[in-house]
Amino acid sequence: MEILVCMKQVPDDSIEIKLGADGQPDLSKAEPQGNAFDTYAQELAVRYIEANGGTVSILSLGPAENETCLKSALAVGAEKAYRVDDAGFEDADAFVTANLLAAAIKKIEADNGAPFDLVLCGRESTDYIGGEVAEYLAEKAARPFVTNVVEIVQENDGAIQAKKELDSGYNWVDAPLPAVMTISKPDYDPRYPKIKDKMAARKKEVPVLAAVDLALEDGDKVALVKYLGYQEPPKREAGVKIQEEEPADAVAKMFEILAADKVL
Amino acid sequence: MKALVYIEKKDGSPIGTSLEVLTAANALGADITAVSAAVPADCIDEDIVTSAVVAEARDGGYDIVLFAATTLGKIVAPRVAARLLAGSVNDAISIAADGDGFCVIRPVYGGTAQEKIGIAGKAVISVRSGSYEAAESVPEIKEITAPDADEIGIKILEAIAEAGEAVNLEDANIIVAGGRGMGSEEDFALCKELADILGGVVGATRPAIENGWINRTHQVGQSGKIVAPSVYIACGVSGATQHVSGMSGSKYIIAINKDEEAPIFDVADIGIVGDVKKILPLMIEEFKKKQG
Ligand SMILES: Cc1cc2nc3c(=O)[nH]c(=O)nc-3n(C[C@H](O)[C@H](O)[C@H](O)COP(=O)(O)OP(=O)(O)OC[C@H]3O[C@@H](n4cnc5c(N)ncnc54)[C@H](O)[C@@H]3O)c2cc1C
Repeated sequence: MEILVCMKQVPDDSIEIKLGADGQPDLSKAEPQGNAFDTYAQELAVRYIEANGGTVSILSLGPAENETCLKSALAVGAEKAYRVDDAGFEDADAFVTANLLAAAIKKIEADNGAPFDLVLCGRESTDYIGGEVAEYLAEKAARPFVTNVVEIVQENDGAIQAKKELDSGYNWVDAPLPAVMTISKPDYDPRYPKIKDKMAARKKEVPVLAAVDLALEDGDKVALVKYLGYQEPPKREAGVKIQEEEPADAVAKMFEILAADKVL
Repeated sequence: MKALVYIEKKDGSPIGTSLEVLTAANALGADITAVSAAVPADCIDEDIVTSAVVAEARDGGYDIVLFAATTLGKIVAPRVAARLLAGSVNDAISIAADGDGFCVIRPVYGGTAQEKIGIAGKAVISVRSGSYEAAESVPEIKEITAPDADEIGIKILEAIAEAGEAVNLEDANIIVAGGRGMGSEEDFALCKELADILGGVVGATRPAIENGWINRTHQVGQSGKIVAPSVYIACGVSGATQHVSGMSGSKYIIAINKDEEAPIFDVADIGIVGDVKKILPLMIEEFKKKQG
């Protein structure tokens, strides 16, 4: 089974991002990393091929800095990593991003002489949280699409069974291959790299495809939405902090405030 | 302006967020067509709704197609947009007409910033729960169908329901949420006890769910439910952005945490610094007394 995982490089999701003096998100304290949901997708893929055979490849769209997440991915079970250099497409929206990924996938598949059985994306990125790229990609590639998958099991007759997370349960579905899937959070966390795998990953070459060289129709290059800038969310006023030695005193104080605020 | 509003239903009635979407459409002064699709049992709702809405929208001359930003809506909106070649935005908290297009605001970075997005022409947008008041009246809802229901999408082999009772966090008036600080399944049950007394429902952080104290349907946050109850009581919750982004729209927030520096206190109306395992039983007792 040949699996391709699309990976976005995002700022560390445990750091709170605020707008800086220039009105842009201040990313200076957040180290770049692979988007959490994309790393869940990779872990799911690597576990699958460890059990059933195959390879996992990674694809990221972005500038040279994106090699950070690609090298990390190569240290935890990915065999190949490709970068699409986005020079000329810095204003890409989800639609154009997906079109570039789709064109890159087509090109890699043609070079490999076979389609990827599965293209996986995280369900959303942790920075913009748009949750749109995989949807546009599946529409563009016109392949069967399953969202919020948390488990896949052995394919037979060119299909794979996937466990799809719902709001209140799961569906097992039979997806014909090749297919596109989004991955939610499985029960496990992504593995940590071993030192020797990290060293080996550092030495691996990452082939670069230039976005401007990809075969894209003119209409597919034009963003459908435009980013106009950022604003601060309205601030919640800080409330009352109760710090009492005795829990009973704290609770009594809380009930006083609730009564004054006419709440509960 | 013509708006197509997809009404998501639960147990036969529109969900609360769909009522908010109607308000968003009304605020645009749009002529509204409200639609809903029935989903055959062996089909995935996303596939059917995408196809049915596209069929309705293609020749309907709509300027905007609106969904609730639920699990379903957020997947369907970009798929519909792809087929109509329209601009899409998920999780809009405000939508304004702007010439022939729209200007939309949505949260990014877990809600610590907001971005403004312009769409020059037709738009497909999902509206984040808690962004508008619920509409008081619902127009007639037209049933739409997927023209190709038999052929499209992927078939469901087996449906597994989540163990435990169904919860409706989005429409809850009171939520008592527990985090890792509850410490154990037994103590987590205190959240349920308080919620029951107050007529509310239980929410949870991701670690509480991963510890198996409660099932996934109770998750509040970026990858759970976006909620905006009248009162949100956060117990042993640190206030990570991924959690706060799902509950900061609550009208009144009470937080109990033993760490006085916990970020949850930044959004709390009342912050109690203390041990939740001592505070909660006392609160439960007092509320019981108050109610007689
Ligand atoms: C991609 C991604 C998506 C995520 N989505 C979500 C999501 O949807 N929802 C979500 O909740 N999280 C989500 N998370 C996880 C999130 O980042 C935090 O890890 C999580 O919200 C923290 O949960 P917590 O507050 O229960 O635990 P902790 O952060 O561990 O906090 C526990 C708190 O309890 C306090 N405490 C401990 N003991 C006591 C006591 N006896 N009395 C009082 N206080 C006590 C501690 O002081 C601490 O503040 C996501 C993470 C990622 C990477």
